[in-house]
This record gives sequence, structure tokens and C-alpha cells, in this order.
Amino acid sequence: MDTVGKLFRSRDIYDLPKTDALFASAMRETCSFCYRNCDDYKRILDRKGFAPEMIDSIEDLSDLPFIPTLYFKHHHLKSVPDRKVFISATSSGTSGTMSNIVFDLRSLLTGAWMVLNVGRYHKLWSVVPVNYIIFGYQPSKTNRTAISKTAYGFTFFAPAISRTFALEMTPSGYKLNWDRVLKAMEKAAHSKFPMRTIGFPAYTYFLLKDMKAKGIRYKMPKGSMITMGGGWKQFYTEQPDKQEFYRLVKEVLDIDEDHVVEFFGAVEHPILYTDCRCHHFHIPVYSRILIRDPDTMKPIGNGRIGLVNLMSPMVRSTPVLSIMTDDLGIIHDEPCPCGASSPWLEIIGRVGVSDIVTCAAGGDEYLRNGS
Amino acid sequence: MILYNGKTYGTELQDELLRSLRDDIGKTIASGIRPPLDDVILACDTLAQRVMNGSYDDILIPFLKEFNVSNEYFAELCYMFTREGLTYKVQTELPEITEIKTAHFTRRRCPLGVLMHIAAGNFDVLPAYSVVEGLLAGNINILKLPMGDSGLSVRLLSDMIGICPSLAPFIYVFDVPSTETESIKYLADLSDGVAVWGGDVAVSAARKLASVNTKIIAWGHKLSFAYCESDCSDDDLRALADSICLTDQTLCSSCQGLFLDTDSDKELDSFSERFFEILKEANDRSRPVNYGMRAKNAINLYNEDLEIDRTGSTIRKSNGMSVITRRDSELELSYMYRNVWVKKLPLSSLHELHKHKGYLQTASVLTSDPVKRKIICDKLAGIGVVRITSAGKMSRSVPGEAHDGTYALREYTRIVECEFD
Repeated sequence: MDTVGKLFRSRDIYDLPKTDALFASAMRETCSFCYRNCDDYKRILDRKGFAPEMIDSIEDLSDLPFIPTLYFKHHHLKSVPDRKVFISATSSGTSGTMSNIVFDLRSLLTGAWMVLNVGRYHKLWSVVPVNYIIFGYQPSKTNRTAISKTAYGFTFFAPAISRTFALEMTPSGYKLNWDRVLKAMEKAAHSKFPMRTIGFPAYTYFLLKDMKAKGIRYKMPKGSMITMGGGWKQFYTEQPDKQEFYRLVKEVLDIDEDHVVEFFGAVEHPILYTDCRCHHFHIPVYSRILIRDPDTMKPIGNGRIGLVNLMSPMVRSTPVLSIMTDDLGIIHDEPCPCGASSPWLEIIGRVGVSDIVTCAAGGDEYLRNGS
Repeated sequence: MILYNGKTYGTELQDELLRSLRDDIGKTIASGIRPPLDDVILACDTLAQRVMNGSYDDILIPFLKEFNVSNEYFAELCYMFTREGLTYKVQTELPEITEIKTAHFTRRRCPLGVLMHIAAGNFDVLPAYSVVEGLLAGNINILKLPMGDSGLSVRLLSDMIGICPSLAPFIYVFDVPSTETESIKYLADLSDGVAVWGGDVAVSAARKLASVNTKIIAWGHKLSFAYCESDCSDDDLRALADSICLTDQTLCSSCQGLFLDTDSDKELDSFSERFFEILKEANDRSRPVNYGMRAKNAINLYNEDLEIDRTGSTIRKSNGMSVITRRDSELELSYMYRNVWVKKLPLSSLHELHKHKGYLQTASVLTSDPVKRKIICDKLAGIGVVRITSAGKMSRSVPGEAHDGTYALREYTRIVECEFD
């Protein structure tokens, strides 16, 4: 079996030291594949004086040139021919431009092992059917964003009795259908099967706040779960304190904190980070994370804030094996009461002062769109 | 928060207050009373003194820090609100404020009437400043707060009313989100003019919402640059570098990049090298750029480096600042926060920037040849640049200055001609 496949079959999902050597081999394997099959990637590595064979151990990965997610917004990098592209996914485009990442079947099957193992560890798999309420887009032919596909994918962790989407496709585009969601909530509260919500944390939060203001309270069936992913995006500044959020969930839906699960991932780094009962995103064996100093781009170790460089050999159809996100984060390696031994990632915020639009930057709107 | 006729209310009363607004404004118009100019000036002057004495430090200091506003620049802003500053502004912008009588007519400058302000969120003091301009021109003002307003506007304006209660019926502040188009349309319909601050999206949204019989005064976003001859002095380049560091290139008037009068790449490269050393020194002696912006630009510069094979650019960087030598001659936004571009643009091609008409604002001219300087200034004025300055003065603020090529107070008034006394 190839090393990538072997790594993603690992069932001890938070035992990093055990997989360090395997991880390095898998990265070399994916790196070689992309180097051989993607001219643009080869050019980048050549210019930086790096060759795939230089990955000998986990320590060598800090020298592997990373690619900023920004780069994928302007370049469609591919290392498989078109006929092998199984899914073409775009990021949800918070800032207007979207990156386009292609997946071949082999990369997806690799990811499936990870989903299986992570789901098992976090007890997301269930044979009890559930009513799904999805605070996201209804999948359609025109919506290629990864988040809509991911949200839909999550409805297979447990058999679905029903699926209700908050954002519905109408002839005039996507529309938020709050009423329908509220009705589905009421129905779910009276069902004997559990309910699961899936979707953007901001929408989940706004709905719960709205329900609270209207005096709506439900006692959701046992085993009901709030699952969230996709980050806070443009609602970053409205993000509540986590404890306040859990109190709200308990108050409005009577769901306990340990049944509120958050996921983290990105189209350029489709690794399933799942928060533990202490709400930490532990690094699974399928990825490694380096925090880098913005001034030197050198790794600064754990416990200090810097740029977040995510690495995983999962995808070979697009060279996303080492990407630099727009996030500032910190890796904690203090022991976690949940028992998972791997360090955890905390995202501190986005780089730049994203909610401040400067007037000079506004002038650029025209230059980009108008001329 | 809502400010209505001198009192503050929570947003839950918004619908009710919006309903009574038409009647209340109608009463003020019917009374024929206008905001007394002396009171407007007195209120602003008192407020400016309080600000300078530190009474607003609780709200201002975090704001100044977040925006990296220097003390000198802040002092310039405060001066604009003083009695001296405002009196000069009114005299400059509305010289014919008194009546002009001819044998056949009396010509008089009157306020537009009701003026709505759609403020942008990029500068906290701006919404209140826009209202002050509306008051100076004699209008009833309705301010729609920008998203994420810190509460500073309501505090400043209600303090002004506290100083001069006569201003109460001329100031209304609502916190209507931009998505509530019906409410915004209603406010625009009540108004004779809408002053909109912001980018193209904001301006075109305002044009769509307001009826055709409502005047739109657009204070859109602009771009500024420096135009240089190779013979310019190091002193000039140092002054430019200091102003780049002082404003972090975030203002409409901030220099985004330098055009060099040449068509030689060799000359361009040596000029870039020269400016890099000067900007590097200026950066080292200025307060550091905040971490988040430095991190963002570190990624931008890394990304730019990945593109070099395609673009042919040269990147010179140090400690969060950079000078990027590009091979094209297009006007563009820089990465800001002390990251400038340098491009060649021979004087004979300067007119090509005319295609950006309406978006050009300030250009500084750097040359030691006075004859050449005159030619460059004339050309810049001809293509639509509205402010031409020396290297270090691009972002200076002085009372009575034209705003984007016009006087705001004139835009907020109209000339009424009457045959009868």
C-alpha cells in the first residue's frame, strides 16, 4: 500500500509521534507526484531550490515551500488530467475571489478513511436516524462551493429522516428561509428521533438568538446535536464568547455543551478538525501545522502567535500539501483534559484589519471592476 | 443608538421614531428657523477644546491606536473643528453667504433643506464631521450610521446639542442597517440631498435608492500617487517616505506608488533602489505597523514573489515595508502599510491616467527643475487630479480646503434668486 493510504487508515487519530515517519514519507510521495505532474508547482519548488527527495524526516517539512491560499485564487493548479477530476470545489469566497481546487477519486477515497476514523473517535456515526437542519446552501448544479458539499456530506453520519435547508435555491438565487427552519425545529422537537443541525456557526447563533428573543424554547430529543463548520466569515466581529453560545444552545434547545461540535477545515486543506469536549481542535495524524513568523517566515514553535501553515498529503490532484492560510493562530501543547495527546490549534483571527475598509482601498474597487 | 431631537433612544424605538420624523421635520421647516451658525461654531469649538483636553480619551485613544493615527495628524483634525478653522471654512466655501442684490434680483444662498448623510465605516469621526458640514450650510441633518459604529458619532453630536440646545431639531441619527432598504428609501425621500461616503458600491446603491428629484452628493473613494523626475532630491524622497509612514497609505490622499518620468527599466531600477533605502530608514524610525497588517503583507509579498516569473517585478523588502518595481504603467492600489510600487510613466504618456477620471485625487510632484514642475502640474490638473502638492504634504488637512475638487458647503446649498425684496 502507498504511504498516503497507510497514513489515512491510521485509527489512533491523535497519536502524532507514532506517525511522524509515515507522515514525512506520505508528504514526499504527494510532493513527488505534484512535482512531476504540475508544471507550476515544479517551477515554484525549483525556484526555491527544493526537491521532493529532500523530505527525509518530519523536520524537513519546514523547508518545503508553502503556497498561500491567495495564490490559488489566481491560478488553477492541477496535477491530474481533466478526465481524472472527480470534484471541482471552490472556497466560499468571503473576499470576492474564490480558489478552485480539484479532487481526483483517489484523493477523495483517502479522505473517506479520515472521515471514517475521525467520525468514529468523536462518535459522530450513528445508526439512529435523525432530522437534519442545515444552515447552509441547498446543493445545486450551480453552487460549487465546498461548504455546500461538505454540509451535505455531513448528513450521512447518521441516516436522514429529513433534510431542511436554511438557504434555498429560488429562481432569483439563494434565499434565507427562516420560517421553514423554525417549522422544522418545531417538528424535530416533537419527533422521537434526534435532530442534528449543520452549518455556519454565525447562522446557528443568529437563529438561536432570534428564537430566544421570540421566547421560543424546545426540548430536543435525546442525542440531538449541534454541529458547525465554515467559520464566522464576515460575522467575525459578532462572534460570541463560546460559553455564552453553549448557554444559548442549552436554553433554547436543551442540548448539552458536549453535544455541540465544531469542525474546522478549508477547501485548500480538507482535513476534518473536530473539536474535543474541551472545544480544542487537536491536530490529527493526517496533518501537521507550523506557525510561522510573518517577518522571517521561519517556524516559531508552539505557544506563540503567527501565520498558520497547514500541511497534509491527502490531496494529490492539486498541490495543496503545504498551504499558508490568511489566519493568525497558535498551537497549544498543554495537556488537554479530553485525553487526546496531540497539540491543538487555536485560530486567533484573520491577518489584516479586515473589517476596516480604507478609502484608498475603496478606490481600487473601481480599478478592479470598472476599467 | 438613535439621536432624535436632542434625546437618545434605543434602536427598538426606531420604527416609531421613523414614523414621526416626517411631521417633526415638517414642523422645523414650517418654522423657518435654521441652525444658528454661531451656535454650530460655538458647539464645535467647545467640543474641540474638550477633545484636546482629554475628555474623550476613553473612546479616542483606542481608536487612534487602532488606526495608527499620529498625534500631529490628530491635532490637524482637531483644528478643523475650532472657531478659527470653521470660520475660515465658511468664509472660503460660502463667500456669497450674504445676499447679492442687483437691480432686478436678490440672489441668496440657501440650505438644500434636509440633508441625509450615508457615512462610511472607515473613519469614526467622519459621520459627525459630515453632519457638522450640513449644519454649517444650514440644513436639517439625518445621519445613517455606518455598520459597526462605535457610538462616537451619537456621543459627539449629542454633546454638541448639550452645548447649544438650539441645534436639537437639526440633528437626527439612525442606526438603520444598509439591508433595510425600505427605511433608507424613506429617509432619502424626506431629504433634498443625500451625501454618500464610501466606495462605488455605496454610491451606486444610494443612486438606486433615492428618487430622481433627490440630489446625490458622492464623496467616493480616490487614489493618489507621486510623480517623480530622477533629479528629485533625497530630501523630497524623505518627505514622501515620511508621509507614507505617517498615513500608512490608508487615506484617499495617501501615496500608493511613484511614477517615474522615464521609459528606461534601468533608470527605473536604480530609482527604486534609491527610494527603497530612504523608505526603509523612514520605516525604521516610525512606529511599527500593527502585527495583523504586517502578517497580511508578508503573505502578499511572498505571493508576489511566486509570480515574479510572469510579472518581471523586482521586490525589495525589509521589516514589513517594501518597494516593488513593476513593469507596467497602470495606476493601482498598493498593498498599503508602507508597501509602495514604482512604475515608469514618461511625461509624454501622463495623459493616459485620464481614463481614471473621477478617481484621481492627490499627486505630489518631485523634481528639482521648476520649469519641468510647472509643466507636470499643468498636465496633472488637465487629466483630473484635484490636488497637487509637494512630496510631504499629500495628506495635510487645512480648513477651507476643497474636497475632491469641490467645496462641500456649496454642494449642500443652493442659490435662490428672487425678483422681489
